[in-house]
Amino acid sequence: MSPDVWKKLTSDPLFILGAALFAIMAFLLVGGSWLGVHDPHDMSFAPLSSPSLQHWLGVNDGGMDIFAELLSGIKNTLVFSLLAGLTSLLLGVVIGMLCAWVGGLTDQLLMRFSDILLAIPSIMLLILVAAFFRVSAPVLGLILAAMTWPTTAKIVRAQALVIRKSLHIQAARHMGASGFYIIRRHMLPELFPVYLVGFASKLRMAISMETTLSFLGLFDPARKSLGMMINYALKYYYLDIWWNWFLPPVLCLTMLIMATTLISLSMERVFDPRLGGFVEAGSR
Amino acid sequence: MPATPRKYIILAYLLAGLILIVASYSLPLWLPGDFVTAAYSGSEITLTAVQAQELHAFYAHDQSLRSYMADVFTLKWGYSYVFQVPISELILEALPWTLVLMGSAHVLATVVGFIAGVEMAWRRGRLVEKLGVGGATVMAGVPELGVGVILLLVFSLHLGWFPAAGGKTVYADYAGCAQLLDLGRHLTLPLTTLFLAYLPANFFLTRGSMVLILGQQFLETARVKGLPPIRIRYAHAARNALLPLATHFGMRFAFMVTGAVVVETIFAYPGVGALLFNAITLRDLPLIQAIVLFSSLAVLAVNLCLEFIYAFLDPRVRYVS
Repeated sequence: MSPDVWKKLTSDPLFILGAALFAIMAFLLVGGSWLGVHDPHDMSFAPLSSPSLQHWLGVNDGGMDIFAELLSGIKNTLVFSLLAGLTSLLLGVVIGMLCAWVGGLTDQLLMRFSDILLAIPSIMLLILVAAFFRVSAPVLGLILAAMTWPTTAKIVRAQALVIRKSLHIQAARHMGASGFYIIRRHMLPELFPVYLVGFASKLRMAISMETTLSFLGLFDPARKSLGMMINYALKYYYLDIWWNWFLPPVLCLTMLIMATTLISLSMERVFDPRLGGFVEAGSR
Repeated sequence: MPATPRKYIILAYLLAGLILIVASYSLPLWLPGDFVTAAYSGSEITLTAVQAQELHAFYAHDQSLRSYMADVFTLKWGYSYVFQVPISELILEALPWTLVLMGSAHVLATVVGFIAGVEMAWRRGRLVEKLGVGGATVMAGVPELGVGVILLLVFSLHLGWFPAAGGKTVYADYAGCAQLLDLGRHLTLPLTTLFLAYLPANFFLTRGSMVLILGQQFLETARVKGLPPIRIRYAHAARNALLPLATHFGMRFAFMVTGAVVVETIFAYPGVGALLFNAITLRDLPLIQAIVLFSSLAVLAVNLCLEFIYAFLDPRVRYVS
């Protein structure tokens, strides 16, 4: 990426705001564990007690410290989303590049397969698998990645086909460079902005997917997550605990989604200045 | 996806539908045991062989893939464990609520988003536009879960203006206008949440395509002809922005369904989403399976229809493929 684009990105208010929100979350995570919060699975506290110096956000109905739950939930959500987002991106880039370079039947088959994947609503398949087999969170993340790579693959393929025809690639080929060398030295680095934009939108998709699934109660109940906290707190919303039990996970979730939305909006604006808005809104 | 020829897309939808049905047929076969052992293995009841066989015949799929497919299309989706009634009855009972909720939210969000997008693109660079884009950006960043929960806390818990749960007041025999009012009161909060969730995408899409359209020459001609600005905006420019709105609907539809599940659960609205949530909570496997299959097939069917409507709307698609 050229320093020019980087400068444009870091001077975009949306990007700054999104990065700041991420920084707050990171600070919360690091600071929280540094201050030595309670074990999120410790059930030995007085249930439903109000916030105190001991328990910053009080204790939930099962006698677990809410602040510790919150930190653990944010961490789990982020780990899941990073795993799903990165794997999906990697698959997309590799397959897209392969299709563009090899072409022919491989390209045809993989693209038709990706059309099928695009047509299947991934959340539904995840619900089915999670409900039937109680698979662990990383496996669900990988399945999500296996379902969502086609969007990236199509963009990478289209861009790579354009670059492939450009003169410097032709020159490299005439000098006898191997396909692997050209892909590694020229094609992969030149598509860098595509990865960034793709990763930001994948991350956003994975975060909302994780919260929906955990809100529906499809993960291991021992695994803390924001969606699950909201689900449990929703049952007690008429009590006066909404501001210390209900609101924190909702706010953290909103901050996470907001941060990824702002960053992906800003990237699309910087890398595709034609529009100045986002086309991929709400799509995966 | 302009790069893919249309016939392949249609083929992909059909294949996807087939894959979903086969997956839904074969997933339970991979369970250790079957539905019946899964439900009764942990309980105190010991089944006799005859009982087990009867239960098996009642719930499980002792059938070939072909008869399973026939059953899928004739609404024979088996029985729910928990509610002990035919699944098709449960889904068809819940479906109208979801259709009303999602349909009205979608129509509202499209109309408002379209008009806002056109007007903001027209006023590009002015303060109003910056505020509008900023507002929509914030809106896009707040998940349905957040909006729904906050609306629930403010308007139904603290102000008490709207009911917190259900689709209608139970045991209240309203008639005519009173009934409609009651339904509307229950619909307001979930509808607002979904509307706010669907709005930004429509807005950004319209604004994006309008900005590109407004730079084109035929609009210069329209201006030179001395047409009133509102006519230029809508009759000449905005009709071209309708097309991307229609095509992106298909891409977003699956996400709209997800949003509806969350919103229905928060407000305990008696639709298919809340039914799915309850089925998952109660581990009612046949019901989960049927709802998942039904809604994914619905998503596919909508997308397939859109594919034809798209060709009807845009002649270029027809002639290229």
